[in-house]
Amino acid sequence: METVLEATDVTKDFKEGRETVRVLRGVSLSIAAGEIVALEGPSGSGKTTLLSIMGCILTPTSGRIVVDGEEVRGDRPGRLPAIRKKSIGFVFQQYNLFPALTALENVEYALNIKGVRGRPARVEAEAMLDTVGLADRKKFLPRDLSGGQKQRVAIARALAARPAVLLADEPTANLDSTVGGQILELFRVLAKRERRGLLVVTHDPKVRTVADRVVLIRDGLIAA
Amino acid sequence: MVDLATKTILHDKLRFGITVAGVAFAVALVLFQVGLFLGLLDNASVTIEHAGADLWIMSKNTPNVDFAQPFPETRVERVRSVPGVENAGNLIVSFMVLSLPSGAQEGALVYAPEDFHAWSLPWKVTAGDVDDLRRGPYFFLDESSVKRFGAFDVGQYREVVGHRLKILGSTRDAKSFTTTPILFMDYALAQSLNPGTLRGGTTYILVKVAPGADVEAVRREIQARLPHNDVLTTAEWAAQSRSYWVKSTGLGLNMVLTIFLGVLVGIVVVAQTLYTSTMEHLKEFGTVKAIGGSNADIYGILGKQAAISAVVGFVAGVVPSMLARGPIAKSGLQLIVPLPLLGIVLVGTIAFCLLAALLSFRKVAAIDPGLVFRG
Repeated sequence: METVLEATDVTKDFKEGRETVRVLRGVSLSIAAGEIVALEGPSGSGKTTLLSIMGCILTPTSGRIVVDGEEVRGDRPGRLPAIRKKSIGFVFQQYNLFPALTALENVEYALNIKGVRGRPARVEAEAMLDTVGLADRKKFLPRDLSGGQKQRVAIARALAARPAVLLADEPTANLDSTVGGQILELFRVLAKRERRGLLVVTHDPKVRTVADRVVLIRDGLIAA
Repeated sequence: MVDLATKTILHDKLRFGITVAGVAFAVALVLFQVGLFLGLLDNASVTIEHAGADLWIMSKNTPNVDFAQPFPETRVERVRSVPGVENAGNLIVSFMVLSLPSGAQEGALVYAPEDFHAWSLPWKVTAGDVDDLRRGPYFFLDESSVKRFGAFDVGQYREVVGHRLKILGSTRDAKSFTTTPILFMDYALAQSLNPGTLRGGTTYILVKVAPGADVEAVRREIQARLPHNDVLTTAEWAAQSRSYWVKSTGLGLNMVLTIFLGVLVGIVVVAQTLYTSTMEHLKEFGTVKAIGGSNADIYGILGKQAAISAVVGFVAGVVPSMLARGPIAKSGLQLIVPLPLLGIVLVGTIAFCLLAALLSFRKVAAIDPGLVFRG
């Protein structure tokens, strides 16, 4: 299967006062197109740091990251936004929708940022909302949507411009179990149908039901 | 393109209202201050600009049109002999004391041209005929004098330096910088009222240059023939008269200080509200970065929000300034807001609002997009 996201022997150090703390200690992980990987681990294990590095938000201290065939180089941090724009979609625990924009505009704005403008952006945004089952809520502001609907809008936004990789950070943490289950099912359908690689950082055991693989991280190392 | 900047700024209407109010306050403050200042300065040179002369001749170092010094009136003959001079005539401008019916005394500024028809003094007559001024002890009084002298009617009498003179007419818009009321009378009458100073003397010679003649060449020739006088073009003389009041009264400094304070208040309000708004929307800016937006995208959002605040605040500041012109005029002052001033204030407002946004620029430049993962 085609690998869309690959981390090889990644380390990450952070300065804490005078001390250097190694948060990731040689992590290797790859995700194939259409594969769903659940990343689990206790608080402070390095999950979010790994997600940030694989999402091209942070650069690793050492190691190699390849996103959709492009190697991420630590000495070229200016290239990170372009890689995020082209190849990565994010889904956040807090949804992070723009409160002043309608559901449709939230998706359309992401497309605008990714270089799709005008009518094509509007048409694609409508299609994305239709995909996540929110065509009838497209003119609603986030404050008028339920938590599950907000997360669906966030997923539609993450799918905008069809990135190769979706990264989700605790996507069901703020949802009740029924809605959370619906969101996970949506992830599963989209990952398989659209051939996206999906990495889900989670504490939610239900994610296992849709994941192809579960990766456990502990103390900055892949444990299983 | 979805207009995130506009939609976000309008989403929080209260904050937007506060920002706009801050800008509007600064704009109105600047327009009122500069407008009133220009109105006062206009008074300082209004008679010069309406007289219709090309050149003004006065005693050496006369500071402004109100503070005239006499010189021999016969010098006008030398001026008339200069090639290129179409017409030259004497004009007396002199302070005189006017006694009111109440017994109080007030200063008045007398304008007495030798030939009322040669010069547009007065230029707006609302009652009476200036030709009648030659017939005896009469004068015209400007309507703006009501505030200082009280109401008057044509046909009434007033004492001017102890002489009983009849009000034969009225004028409009003849004002002085000091608000000393202006009255118009016959040249010879003015000399007779103040013989010690004005007998055989004048305070100005007004010159009309012949069509096609070079004003500067005529000016140089007159200056050569009258070495003990100054010869200035109308524009130069008006500018000098205005400049005197700006420099000697501290009005200019006052205006600059007020503009500075107005601009400072505007910048502080805009910077503070934009910065607070930026801090509250940090996660959204982090999201913009996370979905691939660059710092330039966010600067664009902040810059546009600053520009919107500037333009809306500008309009909100201009409207009351324009509406206030009528009531201010009724109080005897002028609020002059020329289009170039509006243009300068608009450009300045946008520039200063963008400057105020720099504080936010610095903040968003340092945003870690990873903050979007924090709960």
